Amino acid sequence: MASTATLRKPVSGFRISRKMLPYVLSLPALLVCIGILIPFITAVIYSFQRYRLSQPWARQFNWGENYLNFFTDPAFWNTLKVSLLYAGITVTLELLLGLGIALLLQRRSTVNNFISIMLLLPLMIAPALAALMWKLMTNPSFGILSYLASLIGLHDFRWASSPSTALLTVVLVDIWVYTPFIMILLLAGLRSLPTQPFEAAALDGVPRTFVFFRITLPMLTPYILTATLFRLLDSIQQFDIIYAMTQGGPGNTLTVFQVEAYLNFFQSTNVGRSAALMVILWAITYFLSNIFIKNWLRLRERARGEA
Amino acid sequence: METTSTLEKTLRLIALTLVVVFFMFPIFWIFLMSFQTNETILAIPPSVIFTPTLSNYAALITGKLTTAAGTLDIAFMRNLMNSIFLSVTSVAIALVLGVPAAYAFARHKFKGSEDIAFTLLSFRFAPPLLVLLPLTQYFQWLGLSDTYFGLIWVYQLICLPLILWIVRGYFEDISADVEYAYRIAGHSWFATFRKIALPLAGPGIAAAGLLAFIFAWNNFVFALVLASADKQPVTVGALAFVTSSGIQYGQIASAIVLSVTPTLALALYAQRYLVEGLSLGAVKG
Amino acid sequence: MHEKEKDLISAFLRGEVDRRGMLKGLGAMGVTAGSAGTLLNMMSTRALAADFDWKKHSGKSLKLLLNKHPYADAMIANLQSFKDLTGIEVTYDVFPEDVYFDKVTAALSSGSTEYDAFMTGAYMTWTYGPAGWITDLKEWINDPEKTNPNYAWDDFLPGVKNSCAWNGQPGGALGSDDAKQWCIPWAFEQNNITYNKAMFDKAGVSVPKNLDDMISVAAKLQKDVGGIYGIGVRGSRSWATIHPGFLSAYSNFNEKDLNVTDGKLSAAMGTAGSKAFHAKWVQMIQESGPKDWSTYTWYQVGTDLGAGASAMIFDADCLGYFMNGGDNKMAGQLSYAAFTANPDATASTPNIWIWSLAMSNFSKDKDATWYFLQWATGPEHAIFGATKMDFVDPVRQSVWKDEAFRTKLDKYPGYVDMFDASAAGASIKFTPQPLFFDVTTEWAATLQKMVAKEVPVDEGLDQLVESIDRQLKEAGLG
Repeated sequence: MASTATLRKPVSGFRISRKMLPYVLSLPALLVCIGILIPFITAVIYSFQRYRLSQPWARQFNWGENYLNFFTDPAFWNTLKVSLLYAGITVTLELLLGLGIALLLQRRSTVNNFISIMLLLPLMIAPALAALMWKLMTNPSFGILSYLASLIGLHDFRWASSPSTALLTVVLVDIWVYTPFIMILLLAGLRSLPTQPFEAAALDGVPRTFVFFRITLPMLTPYILTATLFRLLDSIQQFDIIYAMTQGGPGNTLTVFQVEAYLNFFQSTNVGRSAALMVILWAITYFLSNIFIKNWLRLRERARGEA
Repeated sequence: METTSTLEKTLRLIALTLVVVFFMFPIFWIFLMSFQTNETILAIPPSVIFTPTLSNYAALITGKLTTAAGTLDIAFMRNLMNSIFLSVTSVAIALVLGVPAAYAFARHKFKGSEDIAFTLLSFRFAPPLLVLLPLTQYFQWLGLSDTYFGLIWVYQLICLPLILWIVRGYFEDISADVEYAYRIAGHSWFATFRKIALPLAGPGIAAAGLLAFIFAWNNFVFALVLASADKQPVTVGALAFVTSSGIQYGQIASAIVLSVTPTLALALYAQRYLVEGLSLGAVKG
Repeated sequence: MHEKEKDLISAFLRGEVDRRGMLKGLGAMGVTAGSAGTLLNMMSTRALAADFDWKKHSGKSLKLLLNKHPYADAMIANLQSFKDLTGIEVTYDVFPEDVYFDKVTAALSSGSTEYDAFMTGAYMTWTYGPAGWITDLKEWINDPEKTNPNYAWDDFLPGVKNSCAWNGQPGGALGSDDAKQWCIPWAFEQNNITYNKAMFDKAGVSVPKNLDDMISVAAKLQKDVGGIYGIGVRGSRSWATIHPGFLSAYSNFNEKDLNVTDGKLSAAMGTAGSKAFHAKWVQMIQESGPKDWSTYTWYQVGTDLGAGASAMIFDADCLGYFMNGGDNKMAGQLSYAAFTANPDATASTPNIWIWSLAMSNFSKDKDATWYFLQWATGPEHAIFGATKMDFVDPVRQSVWKDEAFRTKLDKYPGYVDMFDASAAGASIKFTPQPLFFDVTTEWAATLQKMVAKEVPVDEGLDQLVESIDRQLKEAGLG
């Protein structure tokens, strides 16, 4: 690694010891955040208790019972399925769409720059309020989208209120809100790619699809991984949009982890079950992000090795 | 890419138009609604013909809202100020803490560096609901509940990991050789960081800062649970128009327009950094 | 002030003369309505002050947690008179309704001492009470040292105040002798019909007499009026879908949510009667309900009626009341009627929602807090709220006898008759128990599946019963 080797050389006027420097730089960030571990561990302890706020006298350790109950509870398996499905669909579509838009806007021009900033607008509206507006726009009486749908013959499209279209509708809102997040990160990434490989390819007359799959995409992958990772972490924890649009319904169509845990905590005040659900969600995100980070680091290493 | 055909140009234009329509139409519709009363918003079928009114904005700015059930006091401007204060302070602190740490992880392989970096990321994926109850209790004991200080600390969990991991990628993309050359010329580590690394990673820092700002701005569960009414952000404040005597769509729309304005201004201001990318392709490794 | 005028006002305050009679009398004496109001306030303060030391806690301060609601607004508008009366300083935090109960749960579960009293619904006290977050108010109400002589606890509608009292035993009867008064009712909502008179006339139908009639009337309205749907009821995946029209009609057929035998609870929705009722309810929504019923909450049901998108609602009377004013398109065109779902029943038996005030167990000064509670739920504020603000439905019988209040309701055709017809049967029809929200949320989800034809009614109810019995057992209640 060129970077570490170069920096190991002593430079005059440098006061902090070389070995200490990275720790000095990174520890403040760690120290500020580390406090969250205390409530986190407390919550993990709750997840091993029979703990309903409405039955304080019955609070006791039941060890793995909250978790064991999930195995026989069809509602839990539905939650797991819906959460993974939702995250899978939204992240995949947003990644494809975000990449496509970033490519469309890749050329530097005033118009493109302006459009890319304006496209960030959906991200700037709080998801709970955005969902409220979408709910109005899809209302069968007053909703502009329902009205437009009826003009093209879709008179009976029920948006978030029918089990067959609820997932689709909520995914649509999610795409509207969060695609700009991926778009802006990939656009910044695209525009910071070195120009030489592309110029060389153009001179050699290499086909454009080849350039895209063999040069652009590999060079962009670290950015794609970062954007996807953060989107995935948020998507699997989606709450605002789903709760505001359907409250998890119709039936149990959209009872994702956070909706279940929210209802368990704030309405049923079943802290033990809510905490156990959240710990499982945490474990899933931990596992997924581990995979991402491993790949990210490997790609980084390779990129540096090539340079 | 100079050899684009007319057909391709047309296709790109169509695609871009579709994208703009899909993402901008709801925004445009919300903007229109902000100049209407519920009476025209709730017309059947929906219509674009209406007499524009500034009453929604007037209600928000003066803090007096007239509903079916009398005049209500609303604290929207106070909420807006809270949002600005909380987001700006949180992101500023997260940048001060996160950018040097990102630099450390990008430039130095030190013992436990990946573990520390991953731990910092993992703070991001502890679901807020999980820590909410213990957090309110500990805040109670520590006297942190209902303080801006406590909220800004909690907001670090939203901002810091995001900034750290995005900025780290940008630092790693800058060739170490440039910095090395500068150091050889007799400059200190700090001068190198400030004069070379920071400007080169500028776009990444701007993008990460803006995204962290947006996520801090849109959060509401922490403020709702940890602070009293006078410290609530716009996200909670705007819900006040969902009243039992009806949803005041016009006011919500204008609240959205007002609440988006500071972020949009920030994004337009930082545009150059955000979307220009690293224009120094030659120096990249 | 002349003695004659004073006597007349005092008579009014004692309830011997009604408000209109008093104002008429004062007018004859040359006192204008405006100054009569001032006189009345002066005298009220004096009457309140009689035989009771309102200033006992002067100089203390209290903090309230309130929901953004017309009732809270009415209280805030009158708050200065409490401060003047007692010398107690009062501050308050108001949170939007959408997140209000989340805030309450967060504040109470962490044992926060910030708030002394807060707004709540009676259902919520079934969690807050056993959790130890709120105080049994009986000892204050029954203590003449602490409660002013004019408070008149007997004045509260019995069904309403009993609905706020529970002994804490799962399945224990509301208002039993050993019950604790977890909160004091402030204003309540009966679930009945609010309808659009013009649309009823156009379709040539009259107010439905029972559930079967409601199904056919709603269908006829939808067909004959055009561009609207027949009946608005809530349908979101929430307890709030069960408690209004649905449970009111369900309990009118003498059906129950849960059975209580020897202190053990079990689901009661599996009976033949329940299945028949569910089938009719589901049919009504499928035929004449809102298209996107499964997302319908209080807001959508009300908005549609106010904007002329629906012909009637079977929901809270005060929702219909709000929709008859403001910038609603149908303002001034709505009428009200009591609804008796069961053809064999003699009267309407609406389930009710009760906005109440409760005292936090973490309050640092409960005696001073009680001063606020007895003022805010007292007869003077009740009259102020009902006549000057939108305090519907008042929980005190004396307010319903008040002429000024009844005159005000003239703008709401049928409202007073609706109230008189159903107030006697109005109470909470749920079985109080800690799994209230689990049971009702799942019930609503099951209804959604039935309406979407994902599951037949009978089968859906059998599944619901099985699931609820399992959860009750898990919680040690079944």
